[in-house]
Amino acid sequence: MRALWFIALRNLSSRKFRALLTAFGVLLGVSVVLAIQVTNQTTIDSLRRVFDRAAGQASLLVIPSSQKNDNLKQSLLPTVQSVKGVSIAAPSIRVNTLPADEATNWQINLNLNGVAAGNFFLLYGVDPILDPQVRVYVLAEGRMPQAGRYEIVLTRKYAEDKKLRIGNWLILLTPNGTIRLKITGLLAAEGVALINDSAVGFAPLKVVQDAFDLQDQLDEIAIRVPESISSKPALLENLKQTLQGRVGKNGDVVYPDSRGAVVSQMLATYQLGLSFFSIIAIFVGSFLVYNTFSMTVTERIREIGMLRAIGMSRKQVLATVLMEAFIVALFGSLAGIPVGLLLARGLIRMTDAVITPSEEIFSVSALTFLEAIAVGIGVALISALQPAMRAAKISPLDALRVRAHSDSKPAKMIWIGGFFLIAFGYFIIYGTDWPESWMFTIGSTAVLTIFLGATLTVTLAVQYLEVLPRHLAAKLYGNEGRLGSANVRRSVGRTTLTVASLMVSLTMIISINSVATSFKKDMGAWIDSALGGDLYVRSAITMRQSFGNQLKSVPGVATVTPTRVLEVRIAPESLPKNTLQNEFYLYAIEPDTFRQIADLQFTDKQADAEASWARLKRGSAVFISNVTADRYQLSRGDSITILTPRGKHSFTIAGVVLDFTGQRGVLYTTYQDLQTYFGESGADRFTLKVAAGYSVDQVAEEIESRYQKRRHISLQSTQEFKQSVLDLVSSAFRLFDVLGLIGIFIGALGVVNTLTMNVIERQREIGALRSMGMTRLQVMRMILAEALAHGSMGGIYGLLFGFLIAQVMILAMNLMIGYNLSYKFSFQPFLVGLAIAFLVAQIAALGPARRAAQVNIIEAIKHE
Amino acid sequence: MACETENGAVLRTENLTKIYRMGEVEVVALQDVNFAVQRGEFVAIMGASGSGKSTLLHLLGGLDTPTKGEVYFDGQALSKLNDDQITLLRRQKIGFIFQFYNLLPTLNATENVALPLMIDGKQAFHYQDKVNELLHLVKLGGRETHRPDQLSGGQQQRVAIARAFVNQPQVVLADEPTGNLDSRSGKAILELLQQVCKDYCTTIVMVTHDPKAASYADRVVFLKDGEIVNEIASQNGSVPIDQIMTIMAALES
Repeated sequence: MRALWFIALRNLSSRKFRALLTAFGVLLGVSVVLAIQVTNQTTIDSLRRVFDRAAGQASLLVIPSSQKNDNLKQSLLPTVQSVKGVSIAAPSIRVNTLPADEATNWQINLNLNGVAAGNFFLLYGVDPILDPQVRVYVLAEGRMPQAGRYEIVLTRKYAEDKKLRIGNWLILLTPNGTIRLKITGLLAAEGVALINDSAVGFAPLKVVQDAFDLQDQLDEIAIRVPESISSKPALLENLKQTLQGRVGKNGDVVYPDSRGAVVSQMLATYQLGLSFFSIIAIFVGSFLVYNTFSMTVTERIREIGMLRAIGMSRKQVLATVLMEAFIVALFGSLAGIPVGLLLARGLIRMTDAVITPSEEIFSVSALTFLEAIAVGIGVALISALQPAMRAAKISPLDALRVRAHSDSKPAKMIWIGGFFLIAFGYFIIYGTDWPESWMFTIGSTAVLTIFLGATLTVTLAVQYLEVLPRHLAAKLYGNEGRLGSANVRRSVGRTTLTVASLMVSLTMIISINSVATSFKKDMGAWIDSALGGDLYVRSAITMRQSFGNQLKSVPGVATVTPTRVLEVRIAPESLPKNTLQNEFYLYAIEPDTFRQIADLQFTDKQADAEASWARLKRGSAVFISNVTADRYQLSRGDSITILTPRGKHSFTIAGVVLDFTGQRGVLYTTYQDLQTYFGESGADRFTLKVAAGYSVDQVAEEIESRYQKRRHISLQSTQEFKQSVLDLVSSAFRLFDVLGLIGIFIGALGVVNTLTMNVIERQREIGALRSMGMTRLQVMRMILAEALAHGSMGGIYGLLFGFLIAQVMILAMNLMIGYNLSYKFSFQPFLVGLAIAFLVAQIAALGPARRAAQVNIIEAIKHE
Repeated sequence: MACETENGAVLRTENLTKIYRMGEVEVVALQDVNFAVQRGEFVAIMGASGSGKSTLLHLLGGLDTPTKGEVYFDGQALSKLNDDQITLLRRQKIGFIFQFYNLLPTLNATENVALPLMIDGKQAFHYQDKVNELLHLVKLGGRETHRPDQLSGGQQQRVAIARAFVNQPQVVLADEPTGNLDSRSGKAILELLQQVCKDYCTTIVMVTHDPKAASYADRVVFLKDGEIVNEIASQNGSVPIDQIMTIMAALES
């Protein structure tokens, strides 16, 4: 056994460059797997932590009932406090507001979940004595506010940003104007100070309730229990039951982390997408490992034959090759860990931009490391298995034969099998109906099957399609280009895997970008039609509906339509079982003015738009978004029960409309229903249509000068808003680009590996060409042409499969999220993809090309 | 023929010396070799292995640089040329024939013959007649589209010879051209070389350790330990084999 390790090590050290290159491929694969794992975990953890922090040391929370759409009543507090086992019950209320001086410049800041943290100022109303006993407050200076006084503690970070000090007044917007709170203390960056990206303040409960017209209402009661109970899940569960019994239908008793679970579920799709990319990275990496060991075995046929002749058993040969793979993979994987962590930092930064600004946390565990290393080694061993088995089959006689040529035509079976796999992959996706929960597994298996099939067909393409790049190579590099390009047909297996690894990564880049382009086009069109108008007037605090009339009177305003957004709860019986999220957004609109400005698109093909609108206007009706319809299995004509402040009420679904808003359920209703069932009015947004002959800027300026100061409103043009949404989408997809590029990089290593091997193998030939008068530059051009053939075949395949996989991805998104996307062809991703393929292959070939140019003629022709 | 009117040495060496350094040890491969080859002459260089015959051939072809001394090609000192200029010289004025043929496996016979033209950036099809003529000359008519793996060793070497002559070089350098062939194919190749040498008035310098092969030359030059130690010229169109064998036996003893 020791001897085998010795031989394996020696073999590796005699081919250091190749061993290093392969280890580098493993390194990249492992680092991507690790980075994505860490990124996903960190994102979830940091989101959970936001909820944990708000919950602090509370073991249980009482939150508004899922049976009613109402806040908690303060009168519930004594009931909760009286339950045996409750040591502290701290009431709190939360409101979103803004400092008055900021309101005018305030712009909505979006992320994938809706509005980004820190965009609003989050004001908590708390009991200054009780709350520090359930949540972590670390005062950097000053003191907590006193109950009943107009005082507030802020985070030091926020205070520094806004240049505020203890003793200053903080003026916040309220529905009735403003409220002035004296700053009594500043919190260090710990515990509660990290909520909402530190844009948070804590004032006495009563003060907040009064200022925001929320008398006797609470958002939450945080409960602390003695450690004797909190440390025992069974006892805690008992207490939870008891509390629920006491609270009854007036509230829900939950564990603090249950809200985190909802968030995790919302992010699931995005994370699945990332995970799929790590599978791809591994897939491409395995090609590299396979190729390397395949080359090594071919090169050593004689040597292995000799070892067999002197008594090495087949098993020992197999073991030696696998040992080599193990050593390379072990080093690659270990080195992949720091790189993976570094990459994770970058990815987390990028996800922060699209998901949530999380603070500096980094979720890694020893298990994650072990998993990544296990994946690296496992994949390497599996990839090296076939070459190892081939090595084991070498007979002692092979040692006596002339070196075997790897130039052979691929067996027919291989490419026929390839076409079969592609067809099978398509059948899995299009020919069958899978339950939604299986979609990801089935979909990614199908995509991998297609990739594998495509790889097998490359063997055929190398034989018959090489003519295409040859023309290009001849154009670019002349006659030596023609020679170089033809060389790819000499080792079909090697070329195939090199082309395939480029193809897979390119396919991913092209398809992701095609999807992004389609997504943005659909989304842009939706914003234009569904949101419509030219200008938005918003305020952090709900505006009066009558303000719409004043806006209408501004010269240049043609039409004004208000929108009010409420969060409502849906009765659980209206939703499929095990639905975690039952909070929906309810958009109230005025159908008549709304339709003068915007237009909702009904996705239900049979729907008659006029009839649907008419049904909505008759009352007790809603439109639902297509995403909602898909997720909750609802359709036109069904009814949905909403928990209104006046009890449960059933609404008829009058239509299903196209919508891209977030991951939550979306409902549209009329102002009439809003008033009747929710007792609400007001507007969160007015959408304005500018009259002909006026410019948007002109009207915006006029509105600003008339109302901005007094009303604390902010204005944004539809175009600006659209741009910000599209930018957000772009950054969400950019993350995938980074991963795709890493895949391309692994593919490039494959090109380096293959070409280096080819150059070494063809030393004698290169020497002969040089002696016949080929200059060093011509030799380089010949090798570059060979890489050009790799790149262009990878490119052509990438284009073809990028196009196909893009449709699969869109199908998957439509099925999994419920979007109604359609594939829109755009040249850009294809051009960019092709350019990347060419460039990467050319750059990767520079090293081997130089090596070839430096071949010593005499040494080379001496070679037998 | 042109060779009869043009006279003078096409290749000439002056105190040509090559010393290899292998670690601490210096190996003298060639020592002050003064040697000239006339236009249209077929010269064989003989010697035991390690005598420096391949080194001499490499230096004549500009594949290697001498430690001392000079090679003049058509009056031009090779040491005055840079790598690219020497490469061009090889491309346009020198043909090579190797022991292992060194054909490109991806190209067929015609393409392999046309390879030097392609390297020179020429469109091979303009030279189709020339290539066909050469293929006929080397008796490979009808095998134009065969790839190297479809040809025997002797046939491959004939392709290599056609390739060496396609550019109408002034000099063809052959390194053991029959070393890898059976005696019948070897004989055919040597007759071919002899014929081409005359037909095209090309100078041939051939390295060999086979007395039979050397006997086809106009002149045989013997090397020992890097120095020219003997020379025999042909009598009635060939150099007597027994004479060559006697000298070789003396050199090897």
